Amino acid sequence: MNKILVVDDESSIRLLYKDELTEEGYAVATAATAREAAEKLYAEEFDLIVLDIKLKNESGLDLLQKIVKERHNLPVILCTAFSCYKDDFSAWLADGYVVKSSDLQELKDEIKKVLVKKTQRSMMKQV
Amino acid sequence: MDWECCWTNEEIEPGKCPYITEDEKELCTSLKQRLLDKCLECPKFKNDLKKLSETDSPAAAAIQHLSEEYLHQKEQLHYLAGFLNSRNREIQFLHEIGVVLQTSMELDEILSVAMTAITAGKGFGMNRAFLLLTDKERIKLKGYIGVGPRSYQEAWQIWEDIGRNDISLKEMAKNFYDTKLSSEKVKFQDILEQLVIPLDDRNHIINRTMLKGKPLLVEDSFHNIDVDPALARILGVDTFLILPLVSRNRCIGVIIADNFITHKSITTLDMESMETLAFPVAYAIERASLYERLQEDLVKLTEANNKLKEQQQLIVKMEKMALVGKITSSIAHSIRNPLMIIGGFARSLQRNLAPDDPKREYIDSIVLEARQLEDTLTEVLGYADSLHPATDMWDLNQLVINVCKEFQDKLAKAGINLSLNLGPDLPMVLIDYKQIAYCIRKIIANTIEAIPEGGAIRIKTFPETDCIVLEIQDTIPTITMTAKDFMTSAEFTTQEQISALGVSLCKMILEKHSQSFRAEKAPEGGMKYIIRLSLQKEEISRE
Repeated sequence: MNKILVVDDESSIRLLYKDELTEEGYAVATAATAREAAEKLYAEEFDLIVLDIKLKNESGLDLLQKIVKERHNLPVILCTAFSCYKDDFSAWLADGYVVKSSDLQELKDEIKKVLVKKTQRSMMKQV
Repeated sequence: MDWECCWTNEEIEPGKCPYITEDEKELCTSLKQRLLDKCLECPKFKNDLKKLSETDSPAAAAIQHLSEEYLHQKEQLHYLAGFLNSRNREIQFLHEIGVVLQTSMELDEILSVAMTAITAGKGFGMNRAFLLLTDKERIKLKGYIGVGPRSYQEAWQIWEDIGRNDISLKEMAKNFYDTKLSSEKVKFQDILEQLVIPLDDRNHIINRTMLKGKPLLVEDSFHNIDVDPALARILGVDTFLILPLVSRNRCIGVIIADNFITHKSITTLDMESMETLAFPVAYAIERASLYERLQEDLVKLTEANNKLKEQQQLIVKMEKMALVGKITSSIAHSIRNPLMIIGGFARSLQRNLAPDDPKREYIDSIVLEARQLEDTLTEVLGYADSLHPATDMWDLNQLVINVCKEFQDKLAKAGINLSLNLGPDLPMVLIDYKQIAYCIRKIIANTIEAIPEGGAIRIKTFPETDCIVLEIQDTIPTITMTAKDFMTSAEFTTQEQISALGVSLCKMILEKHSQSFRAEKAPEGGMKYIIRLSLQKEEISRE
């Protein structure tokens, strides 16, 4: 079972993601802050992170840079209310970019796609 | 003793002395005056003096000496009177032209005064004068104006006119400036065109004279080894005067003056007199040139200032727009999150409700309304993003690739083939990445919605003389409402017309941003959107 870490400062959104993604068959953990996310990443292994860009007093993009630096194999999907970050260079580090929507289908599709790519990459490495 | 001259007679009969003219009859009755004015120079008186000296009278030698000394003094006095007269005239004349030179700021008016002063009889009375001025780059001296007659006939005509109308030098200069200046330039066009002397030709007599800063009288010009034979041939005179115009040690130009018609000799006195004119003329010419340059600079500065004001207004406008964008974006963001939560949980509930559950209708309603609100928000946020100015040099091809990547999944799902034909080595263009990306995204998104399965979208970029062209072509058989909106002036009037709102914004951005934007029906079917993005001058040269 793939493990996903959802990082979002809105508790309702964390709950919604957890419900929906669990229903999809993923093991979901959540974090409200960058610090909490870092602690969870240190404590356990994850297959993917769904990251919000605007966290309360922090930037999801800073956290993204840290993750890319320290865990370059861990894919990250940015999920934000803003579409403008799509053209931001620092957002290009992420493996996927999804604009928040009540219809989570796009996010679910993106997760699947990214995880498939991740599996392919690790298989290629093994070969 | 018989005396030949009449000096012994107190009175004489009129006509007795051949040297007394009709106008000098009073001399016949005044011995003293007649003796001093006429007799002392009369040959008969000289014979009488000779006779007197033969008588061994000591008075004879004394009278002889006195007579010679008197004549010498008279000659001196005459010369000095003439000199003073001429100097007086000169001072008056210099004062007259000095007033004009000091008050005028216009180069041609100054030149009219200077050239009239040199050539008019009331001035220095030279027949002809040419003015050569150094060019702006200070590379050569060029003939600027010539004044005077070109033939004897014309000379007589001019002098007769001047004789008939007794006008002052100032009036003469004004007449010249008002009526003759341009015609004189044309009259001497052939000579002026030939009078071009490179300033680096140090051996040229004109340059040498300019460097010395002193006037030079050139004689025997056709055989003078110091004179360029071409210059002698152009002027066609044996003797001419070169008058350098120097202001604050800077050579402004030279005046060449000659007596082309009368061949009257030019004296050192003439030369010295004209030198006094050269200083105020040179100074006035330089002042006028500086004033002219100042005027040009003033025009440039005014233009620059106006441009700056326009830019400033534009910046203020852009800042206001950006602020509006930020506010809209912030509001939209704070709406999107709760909307997503409402819609998201409603969907969860919807999935878990039985099809005949009485609450289903309400849940469906929430899901639908949330979706519609989200669509509106997407449009508003998209526009708000485009209001943040982010103009820079961008690679259009890269922009197209990035935007197309976003649609990969949607295109695959809809079975639409997207082909890119991107021109190689396109120069970078100065664009707002977000705005242009928004527009391309909008066109592609609308096309995907309307295009039937198996359709195609072709995107092409290529350079033209002063722009880069981006073409987006689809294979939609009919013209969609959105395409129609692109072709006409789309206005969003009702809430439902979300796509029309997007088209309007898109059109506004493209029309503002690009050299031209067109949406037209392609001859081979489908719609074609053509965006021409202007290249800046430096981009073209870089290319």
